[in-house]
Amino acid sequence: MISLQTVTKLYNEGRPGEVRAVDEVSLEIVRDAVTVLKGPSGSGKTTLLSIIGCMARPTSGRVLIDDRLVSGLPERFLTEERRSTFGFVFQRFNLIRGLSVLENVTLPAAPLGQDPREVEARALARLEALDLAGKAAMPVEYLSGGETQRAAIARALINDAPILIADEPTANLDTDLTHRFLDIVGALRDEGRTVIMTSHDPRIWQADHVNAVISMQDGRIVGEYA
Amino acid sequence: MTPAFRRQRALADYTLAALARRRGKNIGLVVIYALVVFVVASALLFSSALRHEADTVLAEAPELIVQNLAMGRHDMIKGDVIDDLAAIRGVTRVEGRLWGYFYDSVNGANYTLMVPLDPDRVLAPGEAMIGEGVPRVRGMFWETAPLFLSRYSGDLVRFDVVERISSESALVSTDLILLNEADFRDFFGLPGGVYTDIAVTVRNSREIETIMSKASALLPEARFITRDDISRTYQKLFSWREGIMVALAAAALLAFAIFAAEKASGLSAEEAREIGILKAVGWNMTDVIAMKLWEGALISAGAFLIGTLAGYLHVFTFQAGLFAPILKGWSVIYPDFALTPRFDGVQIAALFLITVLPYTAATLVPVWRVAAADPDQVMR
Amino acid sequence: MSTRPRLRRSSVAFALLGAGAAGLALAALHAALSKAPGQARMEASAALVRTVGLTDLALFTEARYTRHPAMADLHAPFQDNPMSFEHFPSGTFAPLNRNFGRGTLGFDEAQVIR
Repeated sequence: MISLQTVTKLYNEGRPGEVRAVDEVSLEIVRDAVTVLKGPSGSGKTTLLSIIGCMARPTSGRVLIDDRLVSGLPERFLTEERRSTFGFVFQRFNLIRGLSVLENVTLPAAPLGQDPREVEARALARLEALDLAGKAAMPVEYLSGGETQRAAIARALINDAPILIADEPTANLDTDLTHRFLDIVGALRDEGRTVIMTSHDPRIWQADHVNAVISMQDGRIVGEYA
Repeated sequence: MTPAFRRQRALADYTLAALARRRGKNIGLVVIYALVVFVVASALLFSSALRHEADTVLAEAPELIVQNLAMGRHDMIKGDVIDDLAAIRGVTRVEGRLWGYFYDSVNGANYTLMVPLDPDRVLAPGEAMIGEGVPRVRGMFWETAPLFLSRYSGDLVRFDVVERISSESALVSTDLILLNEADFRDFFGLPGGVYTDIAVTVRNSREIETIMSKASALLPEARFITRDDISRTYQKLFSWREGIMVALAAAALLAFAIFAAEKASGLSAEEAREIGILKAVGWNMTDVIAMKLWEGALISAGAFLIGTLAGYLHVFTFQAGLFAPILKGWSVIYPDFALTPRFDGVQIAALFLITVLPYTAATLVPVWRVAAADPDQVMR
Repeated sequence: MSTRPRLRRSSVAFALLGAGAAGLALAALHAALSKAPGQARMEASAALVRTVGLTDLALFTEARYTRHPAMADLHAPFQDNPMSFEHFPSGTFAPLNRNFGRGTLGFDEAQVIR
């Protein structure tokens, strides 16, 4: 269970151009489910996702993960938390150009000091499951859009994170690929993972695999339904 | 393999994969860096070997040289002072030295003519011992060829060469012509009873100051030169040459520093973004810094090893061919000597520190700023 | 399908650095092995220095220029050959014109006085 209590995030605090990206949001996200944050651009959903994923710290309010208070932890503890709990799929995927798919996928495991053969076997198994095994040695810039996304998913899961966080995952995908992505998400939930994503794509929040949709506008929650 | 070790290897792997993306540029960087190290290492190794050689060889020289000055310049010294000097406590031996230069108009070389001090080494009249360089510049291919010296047009003096001094000691003997005392005085028209200068040997070299002060009371006009003075002069001369060399290398070093600063510290927007990605996927600041340390350490250690090894080979197997004019100097009769290879651990360690540390540090400074930033920038 | 490179990049890099370090160790060994013959050579020179009474190196043999048995004039080590091109410090790098001697003794038997 992830719990947010009156969380506010200000950018450019105290300066002209101050932005209230998230405004006193209280929220509970259940485990083993797929939750979607929806809303128009600028509604604060990406900022909220960053706060949930311990990528950004709230200006005020509390964030609890399984009853542990994580807001206010110093950066190095946040990194620990991020590393052990979350896998991220970014909107622009953020794979590192010039490195191979396999090198990109194993990246989050590099600082953990695990047996490299074991890490590689895990990565290959994950790529196999995502139909990417044949492209493991290929530099990531040669992948298609859908392949790039699946590589990013494989990277997010290499450390076996219980919670997958995805920011606008289908923004650049056609309908076929969107359905394929939803199937992957469904499979992950069935593996016992929690998926939290943002989207303004109706195909996503109407999909069968989605358990909860939270609607945002101007940094506030305006609707919540399952 | 411990986890810590595996972590470092994984970070090194990532650094190398990242470097391999701009293979040409990074290999170029190592080559240029190695070249700079090579120049500095050559200068260090050559000078250190030569200084060591000079110190060892001249350790047997007389502790004190007494020269007479006239009008501020060197003049002959009278033989009577030998007994006065020998009477000073602590002095074991006092000998008058006879030496002079001879300019050979045949080839423009300068020979050093000398009378050996050691009674066992005294030559018979008409005999000479010559250094390795004399037959070389004179083209005396015939082993027993006599030596002819001409002081002026129509004059010719013949010496039978009884021995050519082994080229092993070329460093001190290459231009030497050793003669009998009577021949020497005759050749230079020198009256009896005067010497070029006086060599003093003492029992305990720590007493040299006391002996010098007593001797200068006896001979207020004279100039005293200690073996340490001579040794210091050589050390300075070689350091000066080494310094010129390093100064030349400094220009290259500066150019390299600009290049390296741009490469290593001027973190491009793309690199900053990559560090953001690494942080977002779960690397912490220490991981990023350790990764960048590997980059700096691998590049600079590689350049250090290549440069130092090339410098060693250059100095000791190729006789410092590239920088010989600077490091060795020149003369018409230059001794044909090979330096004894010398590997000074402290010096090599110092070279390691001045090459590897600054570069590695330079790669780190800007990373610190980026690595400390919040990773959520990659979300935007 | 083989996706892994046969060798890890770090293995290659460490092997190369190791080879370099081994090269350096070989250089140190070479220096250590050359010490004895070098020492013998230096001792031969030192013996000559002792018996003849030498005080200087024969590196720079031009008049009063560094071949200066104990620095006959005060500034001998830094003086130069009259023929040399001397604008400090270029003189130390630029040697004399090679063939400026007469190149021959040009004598006949009658001139030999001894």
